[in-house]
Amino acid sequence: MNVRRVAAVAFKEWREVTRDRIFLLLAFCMPAVWMFVFGYGLVLDVENISFVVVDRDHSSLSRDYLYRFYQSRYFSFQGELAGEGEADAWLKSGTARAVIIVPEKFQERLLSGQPADVQTLIDGTFPLRADITKGYTIAINNAYNVDLLADHLARTRGLSRDEALRRTHPLGLEVRYLYNEEVRSTWSTVPALIMFSLMVSSPLLTALGVVREKETGSIYNIYSATVSRMEFLVGKLVPYVMISLINVVVLWLMAVLLFAVPFKGSLLLFLASSILFILTSTGIGLTVSLLVSTQQAALIITVVVSTVPTILFSGLIVPVSSLSQAAQFQAHLFPGMYYTNIVRGTFLKNVGPAVLWPDVLALAVYAAVLGTIGYRLFTKRPSV
Amino acid sequence: MRTGASSQYSALNSQHFDTVVSVSGFVKRYKKHVAVQGVDMEILKGEIYGLIGPDGAGKSSLMKAIAGVLTYDEGTVEVFGTLVDSERAAERVKQRIGFLPQGLGLNLYPDLSVEENIDFFARLRLVPERDLIERKTRLLAMTRLDKFRDRAMKNLSGGMKQKLGLICTLIHEPELAILDEPTTGVDPVSRRDFWSILAELLQEKGMTALVSTAYMDEASRFHRLSFLSSGKVVASGSPTEVQALVPGSMVTFEATPQLDAIARVKTGSRQVEALGPLLRVFREETVPAAAAQAITLSLGDITPLHLRVDEPELEDVFVALLLRQAGQLLSTEWPPVTVLPANHGLAIEAKGLVRDFGTFRAVDRVSFQVKPGEIFGLLGANGAGKTTVIKMLTGITPPTGGEGWVAGAEMKTAGGAIKERIGYMSQAFSLYLDLTVVENIRLFAGIYGLDANATDQRLKWIVSMAGLKGYESSLTSRLPMGVRQRLALGCALVHQPRVLFLDEPTSGVDPIGRRHFWDILSRLAREEGVGILITTHYMSEAEHCDHLALMYAGRIVAEGSPGDMKRQVEKEAGQLLEVATDQPGQALRRATQAGFSGAALFGTKIHLLSLDPPQDEARLRTVLSSDGVHVQDVLIRPLSLEDVFVYRVMLVERQEQATVKGAAA
Repeated sequence: MNVRRVAAVAFKEWREVTRDRIFLLLAFCMPAVWMFVFGYGLVLDVENISFVVVDRDHSSLSRDYLYRFYQSRYFSFQGELAGEGEADAWLKSGTARAVIIVPEKFQERLLSGQPADVQTLIDGTFPLRADITKGYTIAINNAYNVDLLADHLARTRGLSRDEALRRTHPLGLEVRYLYNEEVRSTWSTVPALIMFSLMVSSPLLTALGVVREKETGSIYNIYSATVSRMEFLVGKLVPYVMISLINVVVLWLMAVLLFAVPFKGSLLLFLASSILFILTSTGIGLTVSLLVSTQQAALIITVVVSTVPTILFSGLIVPVSSLSQAAQFQAHLFPGMYYTNIVRGTFLKNVGPAVLWPDVLALAVYAAVLGTIGYRLFTKRPSV
Repeated sequence: MRTGASSQYSALNSQHFDTVVSVSGFVKRYKKHVAVQGVDMEILKGEIYGLIGPDGAGKSSLMKAIAGVLTYDEGTVEVFGTLVDSERAAERVKQRIGFLPQGLGLNLYPDLSVEENIDFFARLRLVPERDLIERKTRLLAMTRLDKFRDRAMKNLSGGMKQKLGLICTLIHEPELAILDEPTTGVDPVSRRDFWSILAELLQEKGMTALVSTAYMDEASRFHRLSFLSSGKVVASGSPTEVQALVPGSMVTFEATPQLDAIARVKTGSRQVEALGPLLRVFREETVPAAAAQAITLSLGDITPLHLRVDEPELEDVFVALLLRQAGQLLSTEWPPVTVLPANHGLAIEAKGLVRDFGTFRAVDRVSFQVKPGEIFGLLGANGAGKTTVIKMLTGITPPTGGEGWVAGAEMKTAGGAIKERIGYMSQAFSLYLDLTVVENIRLFAGIYGLDANATDQRLKWIVSMAGLKGYESSLTSRLPMGVRQRLALGCALVHQPRVLFLDEPTSGVDPIGRRHFWDILSRLAREEGVGILITTHYMSEAEHCDHLALMYAGRIVAEGSPGDMKRQVEKEAGQLLEVATDQPGQALRRATQAGFSGAALFGTKIHLLSLDPPQDEARLRTVLSSDGVHVQDVLIRPLSLEDVFVYRVMLVERQEQATVKGAAA
């Protein structure tokens, strides 16, 4: 390896990237914009479920029951309907996701010790949200049942209300969330977005950068010169690795300062594995670029092989452990998952190499394999 | 280290001392397509070797294989005595080679400045910084690019990009320069400039060069050459040797009616061309008087005017060789003439057309007239304003000032009406490559709103006019360039336009295809009375036009028939002398010092202009022999349109510089 030749290639590439406005935008703005947009946009918490009520009883108990929904931060009251007939229109237009119908004689039946049925209609088009809505409804309903029971005990047994409450709650449940105490979804998605932004931008940049030379014919300058394959590839990749490194730092700062995600782990481990991940992602771009000959093809293939699997299989939205078995297998084939583990681990859990070494090793293997493939695929004397 | 080893290696092969490149039985295939089949070639140290041929002849494949950047399938390629048969072997000779790939400026980096481009190439080749500074200064001065050191490459003109490409290729002072179509797409002035710079550089360093070109008229630039067609060598040797392969004469004359005259001389000759009012015919008789007599005889009762007999040009020789190979006459049956409503007005009239882009005046008071049945050529370098004129006349771009009429319609007010009366064919041919020939024609018929009856009629007409029989259901992408070009012409004519615009229509087509194309154009003009406006870079094509206008910086600087324009230059600057000497480089330097105007090197010969040939010849002989240069021969050559173009443009440039200097003082 001759350093002068590597430097010649790297400087040329750096100048081209930084002088091409579109490329520059793609290199430095795109990752930060993604982080910003998805960081705020990709909130998976289900809150403020819009709902309407049909109260046929209009009693103090029915108002008491419905009041619990009005009060909840998970629900957002949209209005009271005259009858069930109107409910359909609300659900269809999406202005309400749930309808709660309190039957006639609700108070009368409860007071006389008979059961009453409250009907809940939930919009099931999006199963995840429907399930969560159902869960919240059941929880509120249960709480109301227990309160009714406690009232009943207090009245019939002459117990104090506190005592009655204790008797109705023989088994207490205390839940503490670890690592993400308030279960904020941003804490989980923002670190994974670092992975996403890198995984999309750096293969794309690298692929376009190499294919551009093939498309214009300037690659023949390299073919016909005495620069070795290794010197060219190293010189070509250095600027893209540097860009991605700068992006890692910018994204990390955004996560910590803008989204207030705590960074609890080792910065060194985070940076070291980031470099491995960057080598892997630029390696993907390089491999794609050596297989195709137009920028269009490079763009499409890179999106297909890196962006789509990254969204689906990296644990960005759905945890890998809750995927189907086949999908879990696929997730292990793509490098995104390993880096997500490392990023979440170092950000939220403060875990070190002792736990994360398999993920770091996996990235190292990826980087090595892709580098070797790139080196093997590149020839200075092609057949077409 | 590697270079050292390889030079030792080549030194051992002393029998290869004078042979730089040796190719034998070379075959290159792309999947099933055979690009080059069995080429043999030997390039000697210090010569400029030419590869001439149309697009797809196999020039690029051969050059890339020699440069070690493409594999090949059969045969051997030896460069500097090293058999280039693997990537490793190719690496051994690469330090001694400079390779300029095809495509004007495409191998350069658009966002890098002139200087940064050169630095990159030099550092890639490990040129020591001190040498780099010295060579860069010299080369930039020589190419007059030194004022543009800091300009981004993307903002250079075509000619400047071409020169920068040459500097970048030669910055490491290779022993062998391989230049793939370095002059394609560049105007004649830049091309001449390029050739003289190249000749000077090669001579100075004793470099060898392999250069390809699609311009037949550049053949005389080479010491030796190979003419390639469909992957095979049709002829090779020095220009004189190649010329000797087809003995004969070219007879040029005027005869009316032209179409009858063509039909008569075609009985005795296969090569007949109409150049405006002139006819140019190849005869196998070598004695001028015999050739002239044969023409007079075949013409019968038509009397030829202004008859003259010349030696065949290299292009004529190539066409003769290709025809010999093809073995049959290329002919199309001309369909019955379509009777169109009589059109007494002008086909095109431009009056003081002006177009500004911001503060830049792209077209400056351009006026000309094209009569029905006339072929009008608009010549000029890239950026001279030719395309803008066409765009204004076709109603695509509104003019800033002036007026224009096309087929009787005022261009400013009748945008739609103009489009129905004109046909337009662009450089890119604008065909759909995934459609068949018939599908393309039907598509264009549909676009112009022809009914089913008219479509069938025009389809038949186009197929027979353009010689597309047998190709009807072939995919357009599979057609040879020449056929594709005729199809594009047919599609532009589907709605029977009165006026036809052709924007650089013949790039990349082989000489026979080009002649076929021009045959069709002149019949369209003569028989159907279509007015044709054509722009072109090929000066040999401009010869076919009835009338020419030369544009420079948005203005028309010269106008007239090809003959008039040549005569005018001969009157102003003199006749063209071709001087053959034993030391061309030295002779050129002395001739320039002695003040001979327009002296330039063409292969081994020198061209210069002389107002008084006998006196100048005597003076030149004295000047050169005092320097020990032996003058072998001095001939008076007919001026080419390229000579006219270069003379006119240089004259305007000098005048402009004088005005600028005058204003500065």
